[in-house]
Order: sequence, then structure tokens, then C-alpha cells
Amino acid sequence: MQHSLGPEASSSGNWGPLVTRKSVMRSGLAALLVAPFTVSSLAAGRGQESGGSEAESSDLAEGRGATDEEIVLGVSAAFSGPSRGLGTELYRGAMAYFNNVNENGGIEGRRVSLKLYDDGYQPDPCVQNTMRLMLEDKVFLLFGYVGTPTVTRVLPILKKFQDEKIFLFFPFTGAQPQREPPYGEFAFNLRASYNQETAGLVDNLVRIGRRRIAVFYQIDAYGRSGWAGVRAALAKHGERLAGEATYSRGEKFTGSMRKQVEILQGVSPDAVICIGAYAACAAFARDAVDLGLDVPIANLSFVGSENLLKLLTEGQDDAERYTRQLINSQVVPSYEDTSIPAVQEYRDLMARHDPQVPADLVQEEYAPFPHSFGSLEGFLNAKLLGEILRRLGPDPDRTGLEEAVFSIEDFDLGISERVSFGPDRRQGLQSVYHTVVEDGRFVPLDDWGARFG
Amino acid sequence: MRIRRLFKWTRFGIFAVFGLIVLSTSILCIYTVDTELSAEYEVNTQNIAKTIADSSAGILLNQNLATLQSLVDQFLEVQGIRYIYITSETGEFLAHTFVPGIPEEILESDHSNTAPVERSLPGMGDFIEVGSPILAGVAGTVHVGMDLDVVALKIQRAIGQQVYLISVMLVLGVLASIWFVNLAAKPLGELLAYAVELARDGENDELGERDLLARDDEVGHLARLFLHVSRQGAGRGLPARVSGAE
Repeated sequence: MQHSLGPEASSSGNWGPLVTRKSVMRSGLAALLVAPFTVSSLAAGRGQESGGSEAESSDLAEGRGATDEEIVLGVSAAFSGPSRGLGTELYRGAMAYFNNVNENGGIEGRRVSLKLYDDGYQPDPCVQNTMRLMLEDKVFLLFGYVGTPTVTRVLPILKKFQDEKIFLFFPFTGAQPQREPPYGEFAFNLRASYNQETAGLVDNLVRIGRRRIAVFYQIDAYGRSGWAGVRAALAKHGERLAGEATYSRGEKFTGSMRKQVEILQGVSPDAVICIGAYAACAAFARDAVDLGLDVPIANLSFVGSENLLKLLTEGQDDAERYTRQLINSQVVPSYEDTSIPAVQEYRDLMARHDPQVPADLVQEEYAPFPHSFGSLEGFLNAKLLGEILRRLGPDPDRTGLEEAVFSIEDFDLGISERVSFGPDRRQGLQSVYHTVVEDGRFVPLDDWGARFG
Repeated sequence: MRIRRLFKWTRFGIFAVFGLIVLSTSILCIYTVDTELSAEYEVNTQNIAKTIADSSAGILLNQNLATLQSLVDQFLEVQGIRYIYITSETGEFLAHTFVPGIPEEILESDHSNTAPVERSLPGMGDFIEVGSPILAGVAGTVHVGMDLDVVALKIQRAIGQQVYLISVMLVLGVLASIWFVNLAAKPLGELLAYAVELARDGENDELGERDLLARDDEVGHLARLFLHVSRQGAGRGLPARVSGAE
């Protein structure tokens, strides 16, 4: 199913980067009535979908993915299903940045457009979407994919079409396959890896004497990636996994995780590390508390912290009942810390644009958060990609992408950590942050011993 | 007048022969389909295990367990396959598909064994599990569990279709044989009725005009013979139609 992105008409009459058939038609009619001067940019934005000019059709057909007016980025992410919050938040953050770029003249005069497809966090639709983005839409690059099971299946496609030089930029996953041979050369990552996240959790837990660590994980490539990270981190301390329990991808919060809790209770863990999405991990945390498994429950950044917190606190008399033992690992700094320049910029642009997922992509109700770790990550992803696109110069070409990325050295993204890339360094950030819930929000965890010792 | 007793045993014989054919064919069919399909499923499962083992050697050596899990998940979509697990050479589980956890029976089994083994896992069902070594076993072993209930269902469906076809053929065959018997019995009944009429009223000239006398078969011959005998007994010659027919 194809979803496009309606161009976002701002009060100033400029058009946002998102384009779809339906929304373009709808918005196009409105534009003709209220802002005739925007028509030319709208026509350009439609590209091959709406029968744009011969010149731009020709450009896209040639596989450049960029015309004189725009650069098209291909996105396949979860906008439906139990994990729709992940794709939505990531997208909102990215669009806050790209909307601002487009409002200010784009990159070298080109607007940045996103071609969106929903994969529901399922591998097969993601593979189909990717083929469509590459072969039919002929996008300039792939951007903002969500999830390990999806990305893992897409990587062989990138290898198959390696001559096309289509790279995957900044997927929302910390798994190893896109960081290592044989597929590492086709992707660029910004966030820290799951290995780094799990190592951070394990090291701190072991340091405070919690050596018996069990794992609750999604039984797919994502869960296995985190499982392997915990296993490797424990091995460095001479420990093994105390136990494990699994769930199937797509579980909802209304489902029961009692069997999983009972399995882990049987091995008497000192802590449990969850590698899953927010709905299932929230269900596990709820059932663990209800069944008396009173140990720290840690989650990785992918979980979607705000959605997890919302599920565990909504409608509860005691809002902290299910959240006292939570530790959430993050790969971006706190969005509450406005002393960080990029965070302030993110908050300003989110407030200014408040991007929404195109209506034709919305199948189920989802109330986005004003700010979230996911949208901040999307924002940082977009900001760095914007810099890379600028470095391509006035005549962007896929063949120059690697060189442009590798030119990023000691780049100040606006957070404390600087970003560098190179042929042997395809991950920009290395930092991992740990947070706990206090007063209904995630705050930095400074003293592990005091809280969980 | 109907001829019932004459073909009673014929009909019984037809039923008996057809029944025997259906029974023996069905038994042979059940045996063949069951044996062949069971063997085919087992071979397919072994092939899948071997394919995974061959594909996973490089992945395992790179310790890329996420890719390994992704590979395993794809094979789980094959109909009938309910679980897959990969153990290292030391017996550690490196990838599997069990939810909510690895069953006790699997945990306690000999992970280096690759021979087919039947398992009954509580809450999951009955399975035939086959294994395949990775790099001759030095890198681990792949185990694939085929759901016996699914296999049995497939076999039952295949057998059901065969038996259904044979049963339809039996019914059609019996109906056809009854029709043929009735076809043969009808002129015999008419002949019998004709003979009775001759015995009662052989002088009646109308009896020499019957269609039965014009038949060019055994029944016609017998009818003419009966009329001839009847008329000779009465001192009368054969009617012209009978003479002409002869």
C-alpha cells in the first residue's frame, strides 16, 4: 500500500516536503484557491506520481532521485499496528527539521521530500516497500527505517543493487547486521548499537551486585540482537544469562505475559533486561509487578519510552506502581535538557511545525507526544542527513554520498558528543544514557547504587 | 412380470466384487499415501534443516546471531514447521523460535543428535524433529520440528480425496450394473408373461402378432418356439408373421 504525504501548507504559503497522490490532489485544489504562487512548487513535488514536468520525470526515471526542485528520500516504517508509535515519533522529529529546511529554501535550492510507506513493523511489507522505493519511485536514498526484523531483511536487497549506490541512512535499530560485514557498507548509523546499550545496562547492574540477569525478548532478529548483546556483556563479567523468556512480535498491551514472568521467576533473577517494543514490554512489566517479580526491569531505547510509560500509568491510582523498577536506556540525551543546543532547536521546531503523519497512513488512532526520545532521534537523524546532503554540493549524485558522509569529522550536531564517520566508522554516536521514571517522566539515572543497589 | 430371483446372486456378486475392490484399493491407497507423504515430509524437513545448517555456517562464525534468527524466522513460514532451534557445539541455544520459552524436554535432549525423533511437547503438540550438523557438527546443530498433526491432517486429506473418488466410482458402478441387469431382465419378464398367456389361451390369434416375436435375439427365438409348440399342440400352423421372422 502506498502512502504519500501531503504537502504541508504553512501559513506563509510554502509547501512542506511530503507528497502523495490523494493528498496532493486535495491540497492542490486548496492551493489553487488560496495561494496561486505555490502551484509550481506543488507540481514539482508531485514528481512522477502526479505526472510532473517531462524534465523531472526524466530525472527520476534516470534514477537520480533528485531533480532541480527536490530530493526524494524513501521511508518504510511502522505507522500501523502495535508499534506504530515508533514510526510516528521518528517521522515527526525528522519532519520538524526538514519542514524548517524547506521553509528556508531547501538544500541548494531543493526541497527535501519523503516518500512514505507503512510496513507495520513486518519484514515482508518492508521488503516490498523497499523494492518499490528503489525500482518504481527511484528515491535518492533510504531513510528512517524502523526495526531490526525489517532492516535485516532489506540489507540483502541493498547488496543486490549495490551498483545503484542506494544507501540506508540512520535506521531506528541498534542491531549488528547493518554495522558489520557483509552488509555494513550499505548503511550508515547514527545511534549507538544494542551491544553498547546492553553492555551499559549489564555493566551497571553487575557493578551494584545484580549479577543474575535474565532476558525477556521479542523472538526475532531484534530480540536476538539484544539477547546476544546481554550474553556478550555478561561473559565479560564471567556470567551467563540466568534465564530467558520470549514473546511474538506484535503482542499488545492487553495480552498476558504471565507465563513469561513465571518462567523468569523460576530462575530468581536479580534483574531483567527487556528487548522488545513498548506494548509487550509494558505488559511484561505490569504482570511482573502483579506476580511479585520485584527486580529492576530494564528496556532498550527502541522500546519507545513515552508510550511504555503511558501504558503503565494511564488509569492507575498509584502511577508509580509499575514504573518504580524501570530503567530505560536511551541513545539520545534527555529532551528535557534545554541546555543542550540541539534539544532547544528540536523543541522550537517541534512547537513550530508539530508535524503529523499523513492522514492516509493513519489506520488506528495514535496521540503523538509533544516531545519524545524517538522524535528527538528522528530530528537528529534529519539534521545530520541535511548536513550530508549539503556536502553533496549543487549537483547531488548518489555516487558522491559515501564521500560526503566520510567528510563528516568531529561534526557538532548540537549535543555534547561530536560526530565522525569514516570507511571503518559507520556509526556516528557512541553514547548511551540511562533514565528512570520520576514524577511521571523519564529523568537521568545518576546513582545506580542508591536506586537499585 | 419382473425377474428378481434369477439375478439376485448376480447383484450380490457385483456388490461383493466392487466392495472388495474399494476396500483393497482404499487400504493400499491409505498405506501408500501415508508412507509416501510421511517420508516426503520427513525428507523435506531434513532438507530444510540442512539448508539452514549450510546457510548458517558463515553467519555463526561471524557471531551474527540477529541474522541467524532472521534466517530461522523465514523458514518458520514453511507449512508444517512449528519450531527451529540452533545449538552451538557446546549445546548453547543460539537461536530458536519458542514462545514463551524453550520447553524442558528440548532443553534436556541430546542436542548433537541429528536422527529423526518424535517429540510430544506439552501445550504444543506432537512433532517429528530432525537435525542437521553445521560444519560437520563442530559449529553446532540445526533442529527442525515438523508438526505431526499438520502432517496427519495433510495425509488424511489426501487419503480422503482418494477414498472419496473410489467410493463415487463404486456407487456409479453398482448403479450401472443394476441398470444393465434390469436391461437384460426386462425382455425375459416379457417372455415369461408371453409363455403364461400361451399356456392360458394358445388359440388366441392376437398372440401371434406380438412385437416380442419379431425380436432378433434369444428372447425372440424362445417366444417363437413357445408359440410354435403351443400351436403344434393345438394342430395349427404358425402365423405368417412368425414364419416371416424366421
